[in-house]
Amino acid sequence: MERSCRVAPIPGIVPEPDMKPYDPAAGITTLSQDLIRLLGEESVLAGQSAERAYDCDAYTVDRSRPAAVVLPNNTEEVAKVVRYCVKHSIPFTARGAGTGLSGGALPALGGVVISTKRLTKILEIDLPNRRMLAQTGIANKKLSDAVKHAGLHFAPDPSSQTVATLGGNIAENAGGPHTLKYGVTSNHVLGVTMVDPLGEIVTFGGKHFGGPEFDFVGLICGSEGTLGIVTEAWIKLTPLPKVVRTALASFDTIRGATETVAGIIAKGTIPAALEMMDSGILKAVSAAFGVTYPVGTQALLLIECDGDDVATVEAEMQAVREVCQSNNCLDIAMAETEADRAKLWTARKKGVGAMGRLAPSIVTHDGVIPRSKLPEMLDFVYRVAADAKVGVANIFHAGDGNLHPCFYFDDRDPEQVKNVVEAGEAIIRKCLDLGGSVTGEHGVGVEKIDLMPLMFSEADLRMQGKAKAIFNDGTLCNPCKILPNQKSCVEHKMRWRGMAW
Amino acid sequence: MKRVEDLTAQCIRCGFCLEDCPTFTETGSELESPRGRIYLVRSAVEGKLRWQEDVKPHLDRCLGCRACETACPSGVQYGAILEFARDKIEQEKPSALKKGFLAGTTSPTILRTQLNLARLLPGKRVPGPLSKLLSGETAEADLPTLPTALKGDPLAGMDQASLPAVKGEVYLLEGCAMRVLYPHVHWATRRLLRRIGYVVREVPQGCCGALHAHNGYLDEAKKMGNSLVQTLSGDLPIVVNSAGCGSTMKEYGHLLETEAGAEFAKRTFDLSEFLLQNGLQEELAKAKGLSQRITYHDACHLSHGQKITEAPRALLKSIPNAEYVELPESLTCCGSAGIYNVVQPKLARRLLNRKWKHVESTQATVVAMGNPGCHGWIAQASRETGGRIEVVHTAELLERAFSG
Repeated sequence: MERSCRVAPIPGIVPEPDMKPYDPAAGITTLSQDLIRLLGEESVLAGQSAERAYDCDAYTVDRSRPAAVVLPNNTEEVAKVVRYCVKHSIPFTARGAGTGLSGGALPALGGVVISTKRLTKILEIDLPNRRMLAQTGIANKKLSDAVKHAGLHFAPDPSSQTVATLGGNIAENAGGPHTLKYGVTSNHVLGVTMVDPLGEIVTFGGKHFGGPEFDFVGLICGSEGTLGIVTEAWIKLTPLPKVVRTALASFDTIRGATETVAGIIAKGTIPAALEMMDSGILKAVSAAFGVTYPVGTQALLLIECDGDDVATVEAEMQAVREVCQSNNCLDIAMAETEADRAKLWTARKKGVGAMGRLAPSIVTHDGVIPRSKLPEMLDFVYRVAADAKVGVANIFHAGDGNLHPCFYFDDRDPEQVKNVVEAGEAIIRKCLDLGGSVTGEHGVGVEKIDLMPLMFSEADLRMQGKAKAIFNDGTLCNPCKILPNQKSCVEHKMRWRGMAW
Repeated sequence: MKRVEDLTAQCIRCGFCLEDCPTFTETGSELESPRGRIYLVRSAVEGKLRWQEDVKPHLDRCLGCRACETACPSGVQYGAILEFARDKIEQEKPSALKKGFLAGTTSPTILRTQLNLARLLPGKRVPGPLSKLLSGETAEADLPTLPTALKGDPLAGMDQASLPAVKGEVYLLEGCAMRVLYPHVHWATRRLLRRIGYVVREVPQGCCGALHAHNGYLDEAKKMGNSLVQTLSGDLPIVVNSAGCGSTMKEYGHLLETEAGAEFAKRTFDLSEFLLQNGLQEELAKAKGLSQRITYHDACHLSHGQKITEAPRALLKSIPNAEYVELPESLTCCGSAGIYNVVQPKLARRLLNRKWKHVESTQATVVAMGNPGCHGWIAQASRETGGRIEVVHTAELLERAFSG
């Protein structure tokens, strides 16, 4: 079956100019020289090597070459490039560390990739008021490292936090294991400085939550770079919990683990994190990080409870332990030291990265279901993978019902690529059948654009299109993302897929 | 040897290596990142990019520090990919100048002669025209100065009564540049080995081939490696005090593709691990000690190449009366990286400045390390800032704890 748009383009979401890929040959011939004149030679990458290195993010199934890549050194330089692109009708796409998993940083129509990786400074730390101003190219973890001494941290902790940028986190409204208790990125961003799609530098929000204006910051968080390029942000700093208990529970059946998750939540306990890993991922994780577990383990739950007083946290952990035992867990091992705890979290957070030990390529899917449906859903995931003849491993935020089935395969074989894409779609459809969502935290990007109409009515999508049009009523700023409104979407998809190795 | 197609296919492009790559964090460019470089090599192997025009400039800018290997959850063997690709590029279009420079650096006789001649030149840096030719940039690295030759028995003057009986012999890799530029490190090494009951079996020996393997001359590296395997034959442990050499020698199984190479690799030890395993800590407890504030820089080929970070720290922390402080970003390359500070002076200088800023922040009186490349380069930063912080090889400092 040919992959294509499942629905006709929905008119009226944005004005309908032709969405043509930018053709460097037909376009402005002096593109890279012009960019060099604007930013200097050290800040412009062009040529075949740059086109390749920036043709996808960590979602490697679809690829599209940029005509040039720029590395601006400040907000004003970002604005200069955007204004230049607007003047010459060149599409542009922002990129942080390129760790996204849905193709959000894919330069879908070519054009200019605007990297934030030279915007990596912390500009102001306001400890008494627990907030910080930082440029958005900085890696997430560096934000927390900078205030650790004061007992604070930036709470959103996506698994890629050692590299993923603040800007990327804002664009995707990133979550992470501790989302369960602390919320997603939008709950921690107070204000932003953004270069809008016309190249104006604008600011929204401020140093604190809850101004009288409409919550534009909330809208910008999760807009996947389609509303502009955020270059600086005020973020909220959260106290580190005084008491943390981390347990690793092992089960000899998948059902045992998934029933435990549903049970813990049903009991009213909200751990700080409740993560699941199945036997597929354990092969890679034990080789990479030396995590050990009892023989016969089919699933592990990584459970963390935290708080400010020992008694409450211990009571929570005891409740968790009881649910684990009632589901016949093989063992519950507590992390005894901070080093043990760090090792468990490294294994969890870098677990997907270790999948290269099993196959040359992975696609990490992202769907959400009600937690009570976890047992049924995982059974379905294994069945779909078996039918598609691709490997699957699961490593995910079980506590908030956010699945990450991770398919591993060889992307040099087009047949396998096709199977993986189809299996992914089947899983997302099932998520929706069970009352869930097409994405939990990885974003829509180009990966899920076809699936949006399965979740939203035409009226829903039109409303979202209007919201987008407040900031972006053109087609240059990160085109072909989120909303399935573009013409020629079928051809674009074939082109992206054709670029795969 | 594993096929390069398979080595590059192991990268799933997760990007977890990026923040650990010094050239990526300095430039922000993914062309100067491990993920980018692996993709470029993979594309060139598949005929989609050109080795010289598209790939070479970015591999030239790679330090080969292998911090990405430590960061990589998938276990991608970046070092092996880099060696393959650089060899491919050099063999396709050899650079006579680079080859000559390597030959000069790795032959003790030529190196000694060159350095003697260089004293006649004006200035203290690598000669400008040579630097321009090699890198297109102005030189940053000072020419090394020839140390005064050490004569006599290294073991002379040791307090025989306090020494344990001799347990056995080891080989010591004398190295090419190491024996010319740092004879006093070998001197200290021999004394430390004696303090744990080992003496060095002295044999004439050549270069290990590490610099050749790292710079695109795998065939030469193999020749040198095979010859070293023959010279240091038998079953004696081989002790190495230069991280770059040790790292390559531990990978002889892969490089030489022989059983003998693999067997040789198994009996190769970095000095710090050998000293720790064989009881130097107990000996140190009885030593006079040093009243110094010590910090330690991880040479990349020790920490990332050989995964040795704890042994040298454990030893330094055991020096009586000394205070040990951690160096921020100790795992980040200083920019020396073999011949990198000669072929990429600009980036190398930025990394040196970054390293030195951290060294100064520790307020240490002495910084120790286990590799001649870092040693010379970081010592230059010390000289340039008034020489208040001494730069030494770990072995020198440990030996001083005994003999003052």
